[in-house]
Amino acid sequence: MTLEKEASALPILNPFSYDAACSLVDGCLVCGDVAVPVTVVEASEPDALCQDPQGQRGMVGIELVAPIEAGDRLLVHGGVAISRLGERA
Amino acid sequence: MKFVDEYRDAELARGLGAQIAALAEPGRHYKVMEVCGGHTHTIYKHGIEAHLPESVELVHGPGCPVCVIPMGRVDDGIAIAKRPNVIFTCFGDMMRVPGGDGSLLEAKAEGADVRFVYSPLDALKIARENPDREVVFYAIGFETTAPSTALTLMRAKQEGLKNFSVMCNHVTIVPPLKALLESPDLRLDAFIGPGHVSTVVGCRPYEFIPRDYGQPVVVAGFEPLDLLQSIFMIMRQLSEGRAEVENQYGRVVFWEGNPRALDVLQEVFVLRPHFEWRGLGFISQSALSLSDAYADWDAELRYDVPGVRVADPKACQCGEVLKGVIKPWECKVFGTACTPETPIGTCMVSSEGACAAYYNFGRFAKPKARAGA
Repeated sequence: MTLEKEASALPILNPFSYDAACSLVDGCLVCGDVAVPVTVVEASEPDALCQDPQGQRGMVGIELVAPIEAGDRLLVHGGVAISRLGERA
Repeated sequence: MKFVDEYRDAELARGLGAQIAALAEPGRHYKVMEVCGGHTHTIYKHGIEAHLPESVELVHGPGCPVCVIPMGRVDDGIAIAKRPNVIFTCFGDMMRVPGGDGSLLEAKAEGADVRFVYSPLDALKIARENPDREVVFYAIGFETTAPSTALTLMRAKQEGLKNFSVMCNHVTIVPPLKALLESPDLRLDAFIGPGHVSTVVGCRPYEFIPRDYGQPVVVAGFEPLDLLQSIFMIMRQLSEGRAEVENQYGRVVFWEGNPRALDVLQEVFVLRPHFEWRGLGFISQSALSLSDAYADWDAELRYDVPGVRVADPKACQCGEVLKGVIKPWECKVFGTACTPETPIGTCMVSSEGACAAYYNFGRFAKPKARAGA
């Protein structure tokens, strides 16, 4: 089985897996140092349910940006939120 | 789509291209290195170079975590993956990186239980679900990715999960930049700084570049307009005779980074005395290993690994590509013996590798660059 076939066999929506915050379209986001903007749907710790711009939902580790609230926008990389979006640095 | 669409406006892109061209001094050639593989991917995918004057050359840097893994470390991973009772997990692109004797994908085809994950937290979940198996995560990446590995290890320790371990190949961004700046065969004018690494480490670590080498650094986002605006900011600095660290990616990157992430890295990792980078050789204090507090979860201590250094294939010029000395299409095997389907070098494996990015998005659209090569 090739990698591509294996990748396409992944579930599109899987709220119980961290993979939902990644994109298969633009290649391996983790390897590309590219993070995904997501919105918090349900705030909880240490994992929160988040939704990415494509509408996929997944659990995201939020220890590095806690505390969070529903509606907060986070930047997720490798299943973990590394920054908040929209705040001026 | 907020935070995406507004950074892909073609009209604004054309405007920025014109402003960049206006800042370019006649007769001067500008070499700007984008450090990060994600930037390389954006540049080719969106045709950024088409908006730049001919005198502004983008040089692709070493910031693709897959591309800089030496073959010997791949072989070490495969040796662990082939052990009975091991479930070996890694990021998707890592599976196709050729080692001295095949790739992890080939090891999987031969029967090893190799699975790709999008997060080390998924590897931890596999460990919880398979208490009778040994689960190993092959960790790669710069400071962007290291926090996710660190958090995973902290959770494993909290839970007392003993059937989980990490083979750590995390690398740090500043030492290779220093190596490039010291390299005699590469003369650069400025750097496009890595956006998401800086989310964690902040902008301060790059201050030595303008201070000691007199070159501007602009930390950039990953959308097309982010990159064009960063190049504009670089050109503005150069035209005004300034050299500073500037932050174009202010909507995400804080000047001080994410202090909590840095604390987590400090707790879980220590700097290795030296680490081999593909194409760049051994660079001191350029990579991370697990700290003593996490030694019980260190796969390199738990398993015997060969630890043999494997020379890169002679035909492969990934080293020169990673250093920005040659362009991907100048490599002898580019697009012939080496393609994304059958990569010889790591730069052709990851979609963020300079060779794969150029092969996928640029090879038919850039005769001008090829002719000028």
